[in-house]
Amino acid sequence: MGNDTKLARAAVDAALAAGASYADARVNRLLREELGLRNGKLETARSPEDEGLGVRVLVDGCWGFAALPELSESTAKAAARRAVRAGQELGGARTSAVRLSAENGHVGEYTSPVEIDPFSIALTDKLDLMRRADESMQGAAETVVREVTLSLRREEQVQVSSEGAEIHQVLVRSGAGISTTAAAHGAVERRSWPASFGGNYRSAGWEFVLAQELPEHGARMRDESVALCSADLCPAGERDLILMGNQLMLQIHESVGHPNELDRVHGHEVDLAGGSFATPEKLGNYRYGSEIVQLVADSTVAGGLDTRGFDDDGVASKRWHVVEDGIFQGYHTNREWAGETSTECTATNRAEGWFHPPIIRITNLSLLPGTWTLPDLVADTEDGVLCDTVKMWSIDQMRVNFQFTTELGWEIKNGERTRLLRRPTYQGRTRDFWGSCDAICDENHWQLWGVTNCGKGNPMQVAEMSHGAAPARFRKVTFVG
Amino acid sequence: MSASSDGPLLELARRIVAASPAEETEVIIERERDAFARFAETGPTQSADRERYRISVRVRTRAGAGYREARAMTGSTDPTRWRAALERALLLARSSPVDEEAFALGGAIDVRPSTASAATLSHSFASKAAWIRTAVARCAERGLRPAGLTRTTGLERAIANSAGRAVQGELSRASFDLTVTGTDGSGRADATSFDVTRVDAEAVVERAVDKAVRAQNPVELAAGEYAVVLEPAAVSSILLFASYHGFGAREVDEQSSFLCGRIGERLFPEAITIVDDVAEPLLPGIPFDGEGNPKAAVTLVERGTLRGPVTDRHYARKLGLPCTGHAREQPNADGPAAENLRVQVGRTSRRDLIAGLDRGLLVTQFHYTNMIEPRDLTLTGMTRNGTFWVEGGEVKHAVRNLRFTESLTNALRNVRAVGDVAHVAGALFDGAVVTPPLLIDGYRFTSTTDF
Repeated sequence: MGNDTKLARAAVDAALAAGASYADARVNRLLREELGLRNGKLETARSPEDEGLGVRVLVDGCWGFAALPELSESTAKAAARRAVRAGQELGGARTSAVRLSAENGHVGEYTSPVEIDPFSIALTDKLDLMRRADESMQGAAETVVREVTLSLRREEQVQVSSEGAEIHQVLVRSGAGISTTAAAHGAVERRSWPASFGGNYRSAGWEFVLAQELPEHGARMRDESVALCSADLCPAGERDLILMGNQLMLQIHESVGHPNELDRVHGHEVDLAGGSFATPEKLGNYRYGSEIVQLVADSTVAGGLDTRGFDDDGVASKRWHVVEDGIFQGYHTNREWAGETSTECTATNRAEGWFHPPIIRITNLSLLPGTWTLPDLVADTEDGVLCDTVKMWSIDQMRVNFQFTTELGWEIKNGERTRLLRRPTYQGRTRDFWGSCDAICDENHWQLWGVTNCGKGNPMQVAEMSHGAAPARFRKVTFVG
Repeated sequence: MSASSDGPLLELARRIVAASPAEETEVIIERERDAFARFAETGPTQSADRERYRISVRVRTRAGAGYREARAMTGSTDPTRWRAALERALLLARSSPVDEEAFALGGAIDVRPSTASAATLSHSFASKAAWIRTAVARCAERGLRPAGLTRTTGLERAIANSAGRAVQGELSRASFDLTVTGTDGSGRADATSFDVTRVDAEAVVERAVDKAVRAQNPVELAAGEYAVVLEPAAVSSILLFASYHGFGAREVDEQSSFLCGRIGERLFPEAITIVDDVAEPLLPGIPFDGEGNPKAAVTLVERGTLRGPVTDRHYARKLGLPCTGHAREQPNADGPAAENLRVQVGRTSRRDLIAGLDRGLLVTQFHYTNMIEPRDLTLTGMTRNGTFWVEGGEVKHAVRNLRFTESLTNALRNVRAVGDVAHVAGALFDGAVVTPPLLIDGYRFTSTTDF
């Protein structure tokens, strides 16, 4: 038994001795490396590490949780006693007991498959790649900001429960991106590669950073950001919309992922994040999208940011349909909500490190590929806009009315790209939108896109997950001028 | 913690600085103590009693006219961990490119003392349970469903550097927020203070329940331009975007701020004055920035005229402006930020603001506001938790939620009246402002929804 396992076991034992009926403990060690060039200067050069222990208990049917740094046996026991005390003091205000779904206490290991350990790469090699990416964006007087981002993360977690779980997981993820902003003609426009907000991320090693080919795309990003400053604003009106994968992934996240979290559906996230229109009576009969829409949640898919062996309830990872042939078929759940609703637990209970109690989070959720090629899709579109790369998003608290803006739009007339459009902003309602999906590109266009900034909970905690998508077309979508 | 005697965090920061072989070293240490309980109709649903440290070590080596520098962090006060962080920072700094614009760390400086509320730091889970019972029982009486958060937090921060700077400060926060949901509408109220004894939980429950009751049976309203009274939570969720992007010197330097080319221009009505003030009595913060410089109170909008921006040492030198002490932890890709915004109160009571609406909307809160265009802060978001039709100065009925697409500068330009009482208000994303409600003409709503 490793030392972290001993500490977690000590916390669980102390919690049971203090009166808990259930206890689990997670020892979490996090190491990151974050580098950022801004206009050629190394403005982010950080190497954060963090470690601590979180203990979760059920006392008289009420949750208690405590988290402390400074890993030691005395800290582990102190955290357990504090968690039990919180549960005891709050328990009197609970009107019904928490019921967990029955699960086996798994004993297991999981390690992210990585070709090249990103932490083994010399810093000079990382900075050399970033410098070349920065240089590729230089050369335009209108450019006011050039950014190159590199972020690596290794998270090691040991978890132990009073039901026999003993799990060790090592999760590694890597990612990088470039972004350039131009200011001209009173406009400020940004272009990013391969995605905005720091690029793309995957459960992978240095090989994934190299595969982004950042220096090969800088000049195009620079030229497009400059061109956007003098491009026409995307006109208002109803048109067909082709979404590239790096925008469609956010559409999946916001309008399918979040409304699918079962705690949210039952009103327990209403205090901040909101509720959901996807209520339980709709399960199995509600038309969420057109017949070609297949949305699959999968915490086993290769490369996903939430690909792991087990969730923080200690339940083994799963794959299931959220939407099948356009019909709403499944929720993201944890043991608490599976127990409450007598449904299957989908193993999506996760915390942001040791400091937070776990809550239901979206796992890797993907739109399965279709049969089209992108050239054929463009050629088949008479009057549309092709939208590329997330710029801005907003969606209501029930996940119905959304409005998204992308970095760039291409007007499509009679099957051809005709002109660049600035600030394309489209809005709609979730069911109408997914119902209008009539074409999805094939597996050659499909890839996973990483989300590293998903906020939920109150106080808010951040989780990471991936969404697979290929470009897809949506008919008669409303563009806002 | 007083400013005159070293607390344990400052002592440790000095120790790490002394142990560093770098030419220049800066150490920031924070300790957070946080206790919260979330709740719903079944009572408490989640809780946490937690503590953490953040030790951040910045090392710098002279290179020509500039510096090589880097930062590493650890969450442990154990000497083996902070020594490892120091080593990682040194390793990173050795390979870093030279920053020719960097200059020496600031030396010894005085900052005013700050304190945390002892009552807030010792607020128990039993006390939180009492608030929760009140909310759950009151909602049950009315056939409504509660969801909310009770939270008390303390934060201590110390900064020491090799140039002789040594500052320390602390803050506390207590909050109780409650969202109440009925069959087809919801209401919300909250209270936030540095002192838990100033949080009136029963008043929060009554306000939220009252608003939820009134929010039932909403009527559909067509999108369009309406005069609005924005309650503080609605003002906060749009004004915070000027904090995220606009009032900082970096955005001015990079030509993406609404201040660009307009500083000194009278853009808004005379009733609008906005100040960044870390000493704001309703929500006092830690009085120094990410490099330990004293945070000055900065008037950003003075009787309608644009002033500002807030600066740090780097941007003050670059733009020839005074340093206002608004640095983030350095080096940083993000520039200085105005994080303690206060809208000066006016002379109009909330009741009279509503009475001033011939035909318009009373908006409780906006949800998921986000920025479309930085230069005029064009924003979009949804109304939430109580949106009401007002006619002839009287609240008539609830309306279904609406999406707005409107620029902040345009909204502030159209302010007709400012409320006479300010409240602390947060938003979905980070931050809080102290603001009264505002009466604004011609606010643009662009689409509707089903609820």
